[in-house]
Formats: sequence, C-alpha cells, structure tokens
Amino acid sequence: MVAPRANWKGYIKFGEVTCPVALYTAVSSSERISFNTINRKTGNRVKREFIDSETGRPVNADDQVKGYEVDDGRYVVLEPEEIAAAVPDSDKTLKIEAFIPCSQVDTTYFDKPYYLAPDKTGGEAFALLRDGMSKAKVAAIAKTVLFRRMRTVLIRAHGKGLIAATLNFDYEVRSSEEAFAGLPDLKIEGEMLELAEHIIRTKKGSFDAGAFDDRYEAAVAELVKAKIEGRSLPKKKAPIASKPGDLLKALRESAGLSASKSKSKRKAANANTSASRQKAEKPSAKSKPAAPSRQAS
Amino acid sequence: MAVRPYWKGYLKLSLVTCPVQMMPAISESEKVRFHTLNRETQNRVESRFVDAVTGKEVKEEDEVKGYQRGEDEYVLLEDEELETVALDSTRTIDISTFTPRNSIEWIWLDTPYYLSPNEPVGEEAFCVIRDAMEAQKMVGISRLVISRRERAVMLEPRGKGIVLWTLRYGDEVRGEAAYFTAASEVKADSEMMPLVQRLIKKLTKDWNPKMVADPVQERLVDIIAAKKKAMKRPAKAKPGSSSSQATPNNVINIMDALKKSVAAESRGRK
Repeated sequence: MVAPRANWKGYIKFGEVTCPVALYTAVSSSERISFNTINRKTGNRVKREFIDSETGRPVNADDQVKGYEVDDGRYVVLEPEEIAAAVPDSDKTLKIEAFIPCSQVDTTYFDKPYYLAPDKTGGEAFALLRDGMSKAKVAAIAKTVLFRRMRTVLIRAHGKGLIAATLNFDYEVRSSEEAFAGLPDLKIEGEMLELAEHIIRTKKGSFDAGAFDDRYEAAVAELVKAKIEGRSLPKKKAPIASKPGDLLKALRESAGLSASKSKSKRKAANANTSASRQKAEKPSAKSKPAAPSRQAS
Repeated sequence: MAVRPYWKGYLKLSLVTCPVQMMPAISESEKVRFHTLNRETQNRVESRFVDAVTGKEVKEEDEVKGYQRGEDEYVLLEDEELETVALDSTRTIDISTFTPRNSIEWIWLDTPYYLSPNEPVGEEAFCVIRDAMEAQKMVGISRLVISRRERAVMLEPRGKGIVLWTLRYGDEVRGEAAYFTAASEVKADSEMMPLVQRLIKKLTKDWNPKMVADPVQERLVDIIAAKKKAMKRPAKAKPGSSSSQATPNNVINIMDALKKSVAAESRGRK
C-alpha cells in the first residue's frame, strides 16, 4: 500500500515534550446524487455569474473584496491580506493547553476528524501521550493554524493512534439548553417508561455504516425512469400522530402485549378497548396499512 | 425559539408517533459576516444565473433540476416531482434499532441537529422515547432524508430534548490501518508513565466553551471597529484625523460627501 500523504506536518507539545506528528484526513464527503440546474426554455445548463448590484456589470474574482456592513449601505472593506494578517503566523505546533475529562466532551462542537500519527521518530513521546490520556480518560485541547485558519482541536487516544478533531467555535454552536428551553419539564415514569424501555430492549442491535444504503438515490432513479416512460408516481400520505390519550395504548401494543396478556392485568377495561382495535389493525401491521390506523403511519 | 425549524416531521417508535421539528445545532449567525463588494464601485456583488450557452440571464422560475442522462441530455425534474420521491424517511424518523451509546464511535458523527416536539400533542410521546433511551443508556438509530440524501441518523437524549446526528456513510471514514503504522507501535516507557500522568493531572481542567473562543474573529472585530471609527471621524469633523487615505470611499449621499470634504479641507491635506 502506498503511504498516504499527510495533510499537515508539525509538532505536538505537552509540557516540555515535543514530538513530530502528521495529520491525515480521516473522513471525506462522498458525492451521491447530483442534479444540474437547467434553463427550462433552452435545455442548457446554467452557470453562476457575479455582477455589480448597481451597474449590472460582471465583476471579476480579482475585483471582489469583502465588506462588513456597518450601517445601512456603508461597508468597511477588508482586503484579503488584512484578513490573512489577522491569522497569527503558524508555529506548526499543536500546543496542548489543557486536558479535559472525556466525559465532559461536548460532541456538538465536533467539526472534522483527522488521524494524528507520529512522524518519523516521534514514536516514543507519541506513545506516552496516547497511553497517558487513555489511562487518565482525558482528551487534549490544542490550538494551531491549520490550512491558514486558526483552529482549536480536540485530541484523543484512538487505538494505536490519536484522532484530532477540529472544533467549531463557541459562537457557532447553539446552546442546547436554549434550544430546548421551551420544552415542558416532563419526566416519564411508571408503566409508560417501563413499556418504552421494553420496546427499546427488543429493538437492540448495532449500527453498521457499511451496510447502510442510501435508498434516495434508487428512488430518484425510479422517478427518472417513470418520467421517461411518462408515468407519475403516487404520493405518500402523511403520518398520523398518536393522540395523548392513546399513548399508553400505543405503547402497550408496541411492546407486543397481546390483548389476553393485558386483560389478565388490572386495567382490564382499558385493555378491552385496545384489544378490539388491535385486532382490526393486525392483518395490515406488517405490510403498510392501506387505510390509516389510529396510531401507525 | 425564534429560529425557524429546518425540518418538520414525525418521530416514531413502533406504534408511537409524534410531530417533531429539527434545527441545526451549528449556526453561522454569530460569525462576522462579510458581503462581497466590487472594489471599484464599492457596490454589493450579486450572483445570478446565466445560460451557459447563450449567456443570457435565467430567471428563477425558468430554473429546473436536471438529472444527467447523456453528455448533453438531461431529464428535467420539477420540485413537485421530486417531492413524490417520498421514502418513509422523508417525513418520519422511525427508530429501528437501539444501541449502547458508547458503541458508536465519535468518528461517525457528522452533523448535529436539535430535535424537539413540534406540537403540544406530541410532547408526552417525545418524552417517553427520550426518557426510555436515557434510562437504558441507549441511542436510537434511524434513517432520514436530508438535502436529498438518505442518511443514517443517531438520536441521543440531551436535557429536555434529543440531539440528532447524521452519521457518516461507510465509505466516508477511511480505514485507520494505513495511518497508524510502525511508528505508532512503539510502547510507552513505563518509567516515564507516572510523570506523564502527573503532567496530565496538572493540566486537566473542566470543559469550558471559552476553550473554543476564536481569537481571529476577535481580531477582525477590532479591525472593523477601528476602520469604522476612521470612517466616522470625518463626518464628525474632528480635526487631526489622517485616516482618510485608508478609508474606503463609502459615500452614501451628498451631505456625507460634503462633510467629508469639509473635514478633509480643514485638515489642510497633510
């Protein structure tokens, strides 16, 4: 196998220990389905053109500068050099500023992961850092200039190596507390929780990314085929939400508690009503029901 | 929550279904945002679409998506037609599998979203699913169509809500074996280990979002503030300013232009 090319080479520094390291892209975005934008009138593709909003004339890339709007219609202009000058010179060093307990890592900050491996002779110091962090169950926070941008990275032990993930900045991550502030303080307990936990246990499995297939692409291919053949595809019905009153019943039915089982329990009256409905639904439970049932979509 | 939901649909666990909404956890709104200007005129630059062959402007209503069939042959797909590509996962997050939270490695996490109930009617069902996952220390695995791609997604309870992560496709994460080779095989020196442990302990702190502050953005804000001040100075006719040279020509009306001129004059053209 050809040795992969490093995306970045530099040093990692913790305390007074320095070791040469290299970063390698760990993930890539795969292109899936892509459309082109077409001019309906001519059938030709369209392309983007940049024009002056007042004069309507095309503006070359060289003539485009960044402007920060300070008042309505007034801009502070920043030349590319000025923006570049705001980024400190790269010292090619991931200097560890702090270690944080892995349990405190807020994953929503994660941007892009890189494999971090020792470069040349850095093996020993690298191993010390890796095993030390692994043992202490901590990850490291470091800042450095990566690809001309100042980035904060989170470095953690990963098998024989390290993974350095670039992090989003504080102002880029919405607070989950604020996002969820409007939700009610509702804590589920008792039978509902037990039933839901039971359902979860019956659906326990593992995730295999390799086995996942993007069915959308196939569906679009089908649409294209239908279009060529002059057919149109049927529309899907919207799902119907469970009504709050039906929630317990839906949970019981989901948990696979048959009518007889429920009947033998104390809430017999409740179970009876659910049993009659459940029977009606059963035949269509596996194949998508033609007529919408009360709970299932 | 003033933010408009990015997606609305349903969360489904077996026969339990509830209306939910989703918004991205990552936002650019607080970033120093620039517009593109034409350096010569200082006007905003706009983008528009032109026909690649005729060069004429194409109006938005004439733009249509094309699925490439041959070299210059496209099957045109109207938005309404694309909407008929309705997999169940377009509208419904049906949780098919649950797996222990720590069984999904961080490297698979792609983009986070916040998921919450969309209508009061669904709040209880939402909370049932959330609390049961929390109690079992499990995350849910499902499928969801986002931006015309079907993604594997992971649902993780968080506070009063649920964080939904899109997960990377199998072929998007590179095998690590090629990267962690001989050099990574080195064993840590056991005698040095206690020292490293001590160093780590000394440097261990609690997580704080200040650790991901952006010094460059702060600097840009300063630069902008300084330039803005320089812009305004002539308007206030303060003598002694020598920044007119560096100030961009942002004349918005004649009055401003006059004031600037007067200020420049009173400075006596240094």
